[in-house]
Amino acid sequence: MLIAHAGHWLTSVAYFVPVVAFLAWLVITQIKDRRGRSRG
Amino acid sequence: MIQIAHGLVSRADLPIPEWLFGWAAAMVLVVSFVALAVLWPEPRLERERWRPLPGALGRVLASRPIEILCGAIGVLLLGVVVYAGLRGTQSSTANLAPTFIYVAFWLGLVPLSVVFGDVFKAFNPWRAIGRSVGWVASKAARGDLPAPLSYPERLGHWPATAGVFAFAVMELVVSNGDKPENLAVAALVYSALTFIAMALYGVETWIARGEAFSVYFNLFSRISPFETRDRVVGLRQPLSGLAQLKAGAGTVALLAVMIGSVTFDGASEAPIWTGIAPDIASFFGDLGLSPQRALELTFLLGLTAAILLVYGFYRLGVVGARSVGGGFTAERLARAFVHSLGPIALAYVAAHYFTLLLFQGQAMGYLISDPLGDGSDLFGTADSQIDYSLIGSDATWYWQVGFVVAGHVAALTLAHDRALALYDSAKLGVRSQYWMLAVMVGFTSLALWLLSQANA
Repeated sequence: MLIAHAGHWLTSVAYFVPVVAFLAWLVITQIKDRRGRSRG
Repeated sequence: MIQIAHGLVSRADLPIPEWLFGWAAAMVLVVSFVALAVLWPEPRLERERWRPLPGALGRVLASRPIEILCGAIGVLLLGVVVYAGLRGTQSSTANLAPTFIYVAFWLGLVPLSVVFGDVFKAFNPWRAIGRSVGWVASKAARGDLPAPLSYPERLGHWPATAGVFAFAVMELVVSNGDKPENLAVAALVYSALTFIAMALYGVETWIARGEAFSVYFNLFSRISPFETRDRVVGLRQPLSGLAQLKAGAGTVALLAVMIGSVTFDGASEAPIWTGIAPDIASFFGDLGLSPQRALELTFLLGLTAAILLVYGFYRLGVVGARSVGGGFTAERLARAFVHSLGPIALAYVAAHYFTLLLFQGQAMGYLISDPLGDGSDLFGTADSQIDYSLIGSDATWYWQVGFVVAGHVAALTLAHDRALALYDSAKLGVRSQYWMLAVMVGFTSLALWLLSQANA
């Protein structure tokens, strides 16, 4: 069922790829910054 | 017919998939963000710059006779709508009341406010009646009336939030929310509550802070370059009115209700909702509720969830912005940046209801001639029809994407400008805006997804 409707929900997921990618980049950058600050 | 009115027509001729428009919109936001960081080094919208319209025009437009005339028109329209709702046919399409309230008033006043400023304040029937009664009472008392109570700060925008939420419930949840008689009764109840509140706290105070429709349209009017000060209409920088917004208790909730209610209206057409709504309704039905009440409770849950989703996403951005430093509390940041949600609310309303206003708005042509739906033809326009060929489905989509992108770029600009004013260091201000950019990209993706679902 899930696979049969994959075309539909994958299209929906595609809309949110930019925000997920951006949030991931933001969190990774923040973690790196914190690590850098705690070392330095 | 309704499908066409909502723009629910498949678009076969787009050069790229619809979801790719979402990616492109996100890219536009990122590029705008970089451009703002480089080219906008100082706050510009925070400064109050206003100048009167040239000549006597500004004074004439805001003069007492014009104010009285506009107020009288507002009172007349309220009276006609209530009368039509109570005495006219109970068909939601043939009676003036539903189309006037949901389309001409609720949607039509939004672009008018954005272009011309706070026009609703001039036509507000409750303000006109409140001021007239106050004037008559002061003449009868031959002196000043007792001073109204001071407005409690903790109330803030909460009464307006409750009012906008109640309107959304009437529109999206209540099964017979478009029945003319129900709308007329709701208008009378709301009028009574408004008069009581104005008697307690004063007409202008309640209009500015508590009256739902005044606060709602005033928020949109803050985007406009026109503003009235001391009975003179003048010009200011577009968007700068939002930067002057005094955010208080309930302001964030108000914006969340404004965006969340449109979100739910769009999502309620999506398979994700139409798939689970019957199951939730059947759960409530098993608890003993009638099918109608079960469905209403289901939609109330959905509406509340959409509002909480919007609120939660904004708070997530605030928490992220706080994490970069600066020493601000989350509440302080939430109120400092909430004005940037104004253009997003506008983008959501414009994109989602664009075709509804364009098509269903034409129904006013025949409804004003036959407001009761009894076959009368007061102005000779009762035979006019809706022209659905005004705009095609592809053009509609481009307009919708344009509204969404423009609204979010405006929101980014406001947030960037506020960050420059708020943070001691420009670098910290820009870093805090990474999180606001994430919020904007999120709202953009959500808006375009909702629009695509309406066309699925």
